[in-house]
Amino acid sequence: MNEPALFLALVGAGTGLVGAMLGLGGGVFLVPLLTLALGVPIRLAVAASLISVIATASASSTVNLEKGLVNMRLGMALEVATTIGGLAGSIMAALLTQRQLFLIFGATLAVMGAVMALRSRTRNVIADLEVEPGRLGGRIQEADRTYVYRVRRLPLGLVFSLVAGAISGLLGLGGGIIKVPVLNAFCGIPIRVAAATSAFMIGVTAAASAFIYFGRGDVALPMTAAIAVGALPGSLLGAHLSHRVEARSLKILMAFVLLMVGAQMAYKAL
Amino acid sequence: MKATTLRLEKAIEIALSGGVLVSGTLLLAGLASGNQALLRWGVVLLMLTPVARVLVLTVGLLHERDFVFGAISLWILAVLASGIWVSVRL
Repeated sequence: MNEPALFLALVGAGTGLVGAMLGLGGGVFLVPLLTLALGVPIRLAVAASLISVIATASASSTVNLEKGLVNMRLGMALEVATTIGGLAGSIMAALLTQRQLFLIFGATLAVMGAVMALRSRTRNVIADLEVEPGRLGGRIQEADRTYVYRVRRLPLGLVFSLVAGAISGLLGLGGGIIKVPVLNAFCGIPIRVAAATSAFMIGVTAAASAFIYFGRGDVALPMTAAIAVGALPGSLLGAHLSHRVEARSLKILMAFVLLMVGAQMAYKAL
Repeated sequence: MKATTLRLEKAIEIALSGGVLVSGTLLLAGLASGNQALLRWGVVLLMLTPVARVLVLTVGLLHERDFVFGAISLWILAVLASGIWVSVRL
């Protein structure tokens, strides 16, 4: 592998690692980095990011499934909204100006970040195992204890999943940056389950958009391949690491990422 | 968790691992050799990995006679298929 490819693989590994820990996919770091630091045209950067999100989601889900953290049925219910949003977003990509996109997105993330930070001490789990989790809820094992969680405000989760899908198609993200905080802060899902379920979904969300970009000829092969090759081991490591980190630390890291990316997007728009 | 759901999760895990392994190998070989065809196939297989996972899930759920989630899974598959259809016509 030549030097630029090695550098891109390292970038992919880094974004894959953090992305897999938080259920994000890593597109929020990758698109700004490719466009701002490396001068890659936005559509090529979005396409590379979507492929990298697929790599991160697929690799980290193999670990999360084994650890029983993925809530498949909840993920599927939300995927209905997300895939429609993803498809619409990638087709609409030419209609909105980049400034409008960044401004809306930046503001949304900043609000989410503040909500996550304020709720970092709140737990979404119920210690009483007699409580029925319901059809979409489930159980989670933490340390040596098992907890129950129930899904609340599903319609809100669906609306945000639609928005997350559209943003995914427009900006080359998996949409996890919206889904994880919404699932955790508003829908009653523990952060680890929210991240694992999001990672499970974002591969599908990104794929819905990635085919369109591929068909348009926006996938720059060597660059995209190098990033994806790095993202695969990076995200496997990230998925393993997330089980060793406390839930509160994951929430604080998530809040930090949201505020940082939100501020950066808003700054670019102004 | 139900034994059938665990089996389904295992099947999905295998589909995802297979997709990641094969596409990762093709991409790595393509980067090392500079072969564009290998890179292209690596990317295509990587994009198809989530589709394979939805396909396995759909078949599994219908096999479990979970028709509500089976139908949801079919819907997701249809949306993905429409994306592929649009992409080949672009």
